[in-house]
Amino acid sequence: MKVVGAMTQAADNRNSSNPSPVPRSGVAPASRRPQMPLKPQDAMSNGGPAGTERPIVQAEAFSLYYGSKAGVKDITMDIYPRAVTAIIGPSGCGKSTFLRSINRMNDLIPHTHAEGLLRVDGVNVYDRHVNLVNLRQQVGMVFQKPNPFAKSIYDNIAYGPRLQGIRRRARLDEIVEECLRAAALWGEVKDNLKGSALALSGGQQQRLCIARTLATRPNILLMDEPCSALDPLATAKIEDLIGELKASYTIVIVTHNMQQAARVSDRTAFFCLGELVEYGSTAQVFTNPRCKDTEDYITGRFG
Amino acid sequence: MSLRLRLRGLWNKGFTGLSVLAVVLLGAALLIVLAPMLYRGFQAVVFVETVEFRKMEFWELDRGDEEALQAEVAAIQAAREPVYALLDRFSRGIDVERQIDQARDVYRRYGEKLRAEQTPREAYTEKRARAKALRDALTDAYETADATAAREHLQVVLSQADEPWVRDTMLREYVQMARDYGEVIATIDLGRRQEYAQALDEVKAALRKLLGPRPREEVPALAEDRYGATRWDLVQRDVEHFLYDEQWVQEQPGEPLVRKWVPRTDPAQFGGTALEPLFGMVETHLEEMLRPRWRFYWQYFIDGSTPGHFFGGVGPEVLGTLLLTLCAMLFAVPLGIVSAAYLVECGGDHRMVRIIRTCINTLAGVPSIVFGLFGLAFFVLIVGRPCVLAASLTLGLLVLPVIIRASEEAIRAVPETYKEASLALGAGRFRTFVRVILPAALPGILTGIILSVSRAAGETAPILFTGAVFYGDVPRSLFGQTPALSYGSYGIATGDRIGMEMPHQQYGMVMTLILLVLLLNLAAIAIRHRVQKRLRG
Repeated sequence: MKVVGAMTQAADNRNSSNPSPVPRSGVAPASRRPQMPLKPQDAMSNGGPAGTERPIVQAEAFSLYYGSKAGVKDITMDIYPRAVTAIIGPSGCGKSTFLRSINRMNDLIPHTHAEGLLRVDGVNVYDRHVNLVNLRQQVGMVFQKPNPFAKSIYDNIAYGPRLQGIRRRARLDEIVEECLRAAALWGEVKDNLKGSALALSGGQQQRLCIARTLATRPNILLMDEPCSALDPLATAKIEDLIGELKASYTIVIVTHNMQQAARVSDRTAFFCLGELVEYGSTAQVFTNPRCKDTEDYITGRFG
Repeated sequence: MSLRLRLRGLWNKGFTGLSVLAVVLLGAALLIVLAPMLYRGFQAVVFVETVEFRKMEFWELDRGDEEALQAEVAAIQAAREPVYALLDRFSRGIDVERQIDQARDVYRRYGEKLRAEQTPREAYTEKRARAKALRDALTDAYETADATAAREHLQVVLSQADEPWVRDTMLREYVQMARDYGEVIATIDLGRRQEYAQALDEVKAALRKLLGPRPREEVPALAEDRYGATRWDLVQRDVEHFLYDEQWVQEQPGEPLVRKWVPRTDPAQFGGTALEPLFGMVETHLEEMLRPRWRFYWQYFIDGSTPGHFFGGVGPEVLGTLLLTLCAMLFAVPLGIVSAAYLVECGGDHRMVRIIRTCINTLAGVPSIVFGLFGLAFFVLIVGRPCVLAASLTLGLLVLPVIIRASEEAIRAVPETYKEASLALGAGRFRTFVRVILPAALPGILTGIILSVSRAAGETAPILFTGAVFYGDVPRSLFGQTPALSYGSYGIATGDRIGMEMPHQQYGMVMTLILLVLLLNLAAIAIRHRVQKRLRG
């Protein structure tokens, strides 16, 4: 089979050039990200439990306004690398707004403006000089509803690398396999890479979207209720996947599902009415919330 | 409760029935509109041809087996010969002036011949005098309206028939003329000679239309005069005019004129004359003279035609239409998609964009003749003359609003999540549009293109002044003029003769246009289907 042949070739390549094919926690070669100054790799690969490293995302009195109405107000929180941070809260509390601020997807909505600071790797993302393309390649995003392009599975995953200028077939094959494996989808689709992505089931599509996001080699993965459109089985698979990806990526997940937040996350933030009410380790927030509102919400007595 | 349920069921069934009925009615309406066109149009392709058609095909379109054709022509000439002979004999008796001229001519030639032979003076004078006597007798016979007197004059000529000076010289022509004339005046009323002469001209014209020009006649300049009835339906129409005289009579004063068909064998016409057998002869030997045969003339779609579209096919028109449509699309599709992309992606919701959108919608409703005049006043002026380029630009402009609108809708219908996904992967807006949004919108855009292709192929007014010709070849460059199906149909419909003389040519052209548009649509739908299949998996 053609793909297999390509893979073998890719393997040779891998041996010679890139010793670690699996998604890295580190940074892309400087040539690929010239604009976004990143910390040295060792800063993040120090190891140690989550929360003891330097934060990778820092919000300082960050507010985002839709026109004159505030979506989120005065958020100050640190998000740490190689951990899962869950954001919970009632609808309309600004969880998604905050999440989408991190890679500036809110720019799509007209008349938004930000105040305060929101740093990713020490750089304020709302700075005028920030290169959006680089930012978004570094901060990947998975959406609520699976949204694969109307292309083949292969082309979906290769979309990001191609944007970065990777044209060589062997290299693309390699990336596609890597990412599909990382998203635990390889076994299911390896024989049908040329098939349409829209023919996959919802859970598979969502994992494909995660694989597609991984293909741009991000450091941070933002997930906006990634399981809300999926059945429990598919949800379980995604949750497992999140657990695996945690080792290499910083994951921020917005969810409505309290159990999910408790299951997958290391730290949890509770948002309410656009403000950060409580932020701490998941165990602490769920078992011993400092705030009354948090307790009410978690126990389902909110309102 | 159950009553209400039943009522609701009835309602449902009623609505279903109504919608089915509506679909069926629409289908029937389409059929009613198209069926006569297609039926009549197909007569241009499938029909009973005559030998005249084969002649035409060989001489004008350079197709056919020459030997077979010549054998056939020889056979039909043999079948037609008696008809022409009978007609000639009769017309010799009627066309007195020509006969007199001929008699004088014979006399003159006779004198010249005598001089050339250097006949001695006395012999010459004598011979001339004798010839003059014969000539005068014949002329007198022609000129008198009294049958008895004429017969006496003819007798003078005929009595000399066996004299060696008549029998062995060219003067024997006088004897032949006298005999023919004698035969003719035996059957006709000399007083009605003028009438006969007129009616005879009509008969000759009708026969010419039926059988074409006489064998040894000079080839007429116009192609339409070179052949007789090429199709059996035309034969039937022409033979009617040959066998019957069309008269308009007023039966009562003050009443409108009524058309009457009077048989030419009627006593008021040629009944009782030497010409009477002609009509029966033609009627019974029609098939031998014209040799009808079924024909599937598929070359109609690729053949060129003779000037005025009398004979031949619509090949140049088909190619011209395709050329115009293709060029119009090459101009309109990219521009339309780019405009739509601007309106959706970059325009936002400013007042300016709303005004532009209103303008586009208005433009879509502007009558096509206005576009035609605009093309004349703008493109033709710029290019310098009417040509394919100007015509297709005008056509492109005409369909541009449709394409913009369809593309805009299609692009707007692409889920926002596609765009988000692409942007979140770090793609720029241009890349996102070209790589993600455009492919997803392609089926919808193709729908707009399908609609516009049909429109562009069928429009007449925009190309009327900007680059279409009624008759001609496909141009070799964009700066030539081209024939087109739509304009050709228009030309035939407004032309005074061709539509009446050759109705199948008009319907054939319309049918070709319908088929072409149908074909283009089917092709586009097939493409759209493939694109959709690729997208949806």
